[in-house]
Amino acid sequence: MTTVAVAGKGGVGKTVIAALLIKALSEKGVVLAIDADPSTNLNLALGLPLTETVGRVREDLTEDITKGSLPTGVSKQELLDMKIREALVESARIDLLAMGRPEGPGCYCAANHMLRLSIDQLAKSYDYTVIDCEAGMEHISRRTTRDIDILLIISDPTIRGVTAAARMKELMKELRTRTGKIYLAVNRVKDGLPKEIGEAINKSGLNLIAIIPEDPNIAPLEVKGAPLVELPPDSPLQSGVREIVTKLGL
Amino acid sequence: MAGMFPVDVGPQYEGEAIRKADFYVEFGGPDVKSKFELVTLKTMNEVEHEKIEVVGPDIPELTEGGSYPLGILIDVAGSEIEKEMEPVFERRIHLYANYIEGFWHMAQRNDIWMRLHKNSYKKGLNSLKEIGKILIFLYTSEIPIIEKISTTFITDEKKVEEFLPKALEVYKARDERLKGIREEDVEEFYSCSLCQSFAPTHICIATPERVANCGAINWFDGRAAYKLDPEGPVQEVKKGECLDPIRGEYSGCNELAVVKSLRSYDRVYLHSAFEHPHTSCGCFQAICFYIPEADAFGIVHRDFVGNTVMDVPFSTMAGQTSGGRQVEGSLGIALEYLRSPKFLQADGGLYRVVWMPKEIKERYKEATPQDLYDKIATEEDVTNADELVDFLKRVGHPWVKGEVELPV
Repeated sequence: MTTVAVAGKGGVGKTVIAALLIKALSEKGVVLAIDADPSTNLNLALGLPLTETVGRVREDLTEDITKGSLPTGVSKQELLDMKIREALVESARIDLLAMGRPEGPGCYCAANHMLRLSIDQLAKSYDYTVIDCEAGMEHISRRTTRDIDILLIISDPTIRGVTAAARMKELMKELRTRTGKIYLAVNRVKDGLPKEIGEAINKSGLNLIAIIPEDPNIAPLEVKGAPLVELPPDSPLQSGVREIVTKLGL
Repeated sequence: MAGMFPVDVGPQYEGEAIRKADFYVEFGGPDVKSKFELVTLKTMNEVEHEKIEVVGPDIPELTEGGSYPLGILIDVAGSEIEKEMEPVFERRIHLYANYIEGFWHMAQRNDIWMRLHKNSYKKGLNSLKEIGKILIFLYTSEIPIIEKISTTFITDEKKVEEFLPKALEVYKARDERLKGIREEDVEEFYSCSLCQSFAPTHICIATPERVANCGAINWFDGRAAYKLDPEGPVQEVKKGECLDPIRGEYSGCNELAVVKSLRSYDRVYLHSAFEHPHTSCGCFQAICFYIPEADAFGIVHRDFVGNTVMDVPFSTMAGQTSGGRQVEGSLGIALEYLRSPKFLQADGGLYRVVWMPKEIKERYKEATPQDLYDKIATEEDVTNADELVDFLKRVGHPWVKGEVELPV
């Protein structure tokens, strides 16, 4: 059981890489995909429908608590386990759980703690868990998602991208979550990695695992709204993700 | 148990989940409306021991990959069994069903969800009667006071629907009975330290008559959480000796307070806002605040916009209340605590409450004594303490009239 989190600032191709990684791992085992970035729609990239989100489940629970309408004889943890299970989108080798929006005002300590237990329990029955994180890594900082073995940070070949990636690495350290290894993949590279970017990566101490060329096959899929996992097998992104899977020993 | 049944049975299968791609059939779950499970205590004559009945189509008659209705009725008899044990026995369905290799059971009551793995179906677990045999075996070998037991699996949708209202009535009656549990009836309370990241000296105590400040953990949730994760943030507290039944002071809670508050306080009154009040994290749903002009209390909840009768909003009061200190006359509470018979019982209870936001007053109308309801002011009646005092005199609030006696 291995948990991989994919993170990166907007526009670097994080979600397509997460989707391709999920697809690649699904050929080796069953995968739990967690969409922890409400703005990117991992489900569309994977070609899966979307029903309920964890955020909605949590809001409903909090509302029911406030109304006092929950049955006394059933524990909230058990109700939550059931609701999380219901929110799961199940397909042949990949199941998807969407985290939805982060919480509003009020106290969610107990709700988030219960969520974490539910999601941890759920993830136990999968060979791989892949989390598509938003840049602030809200769900990791609030510990609503599980501890991760591998953090894969995606950047574009820009100083801003590399700086953001370095900041995410620092954030993970500050959060003191149990993270195994942290890697960087640079995506959308045209004509090789610029020297300045290579130097910035070296300086940041980030461990570069892959350089992925700009993929010309993405745009036509995006125009059609087709699942991004339908990229041709020889597409640069597909090759890049295969390289990552091999290097990570997954 | 090898050889007794078509598949293996044991606790090692408990955590095993069955994915959609792997199940032969599923019962209940989000796509099925008609579902329930119910254990009923009957007399010895009413139960035919080890009888297993399937009403409606059995597994071989169902289409592979489908989701189907199911009602599980388990009748038990035994001279030592008491009515109160029914829900305890009923929870064992979840436990025992999950002991079965390639069978998955989730939730309870009318929320159940079960899946049968394709491989176990192939191995011969191809009838609900086989499931029944295993359940009966586990019940009788693990609970010796069960002298007779029978099970009925109803898969006929109409018959499940016919029976469902009866089951719902039983669940409702159980909940009502649970709501009636008092602190005197139990030996254990539960503590929760989840908020210590915000308030390191705060420790929350949940009793049958006091919900944790956030409203999310009542005594039953505490019990479930502790059972699930004995090393987790929710711990069992032996209540110990009751030192003051009116204020709600227990030796067990005091001992816990010393340890968990890093020695910043050593006594806790669970049901008073004075002297040694329960601490507040930052997560409480509402604040119960003392109004000196009326010598009484106001309640304000987190969602209330604008100023309270004290001329300050919730957020200002929250700053004064929170942080894990004992602040006399300023108590972070769960709204459900308003329904507790012990709500601030040492200070006069609900009869000492004189101001609430209209929304809360309406939501807790049925929990408020009839002779009190119209005498509690809201933001629509008064905007400051002077107006409040006039209002209370005008309507004749029982506390202001001196009609409320504090318990001794």
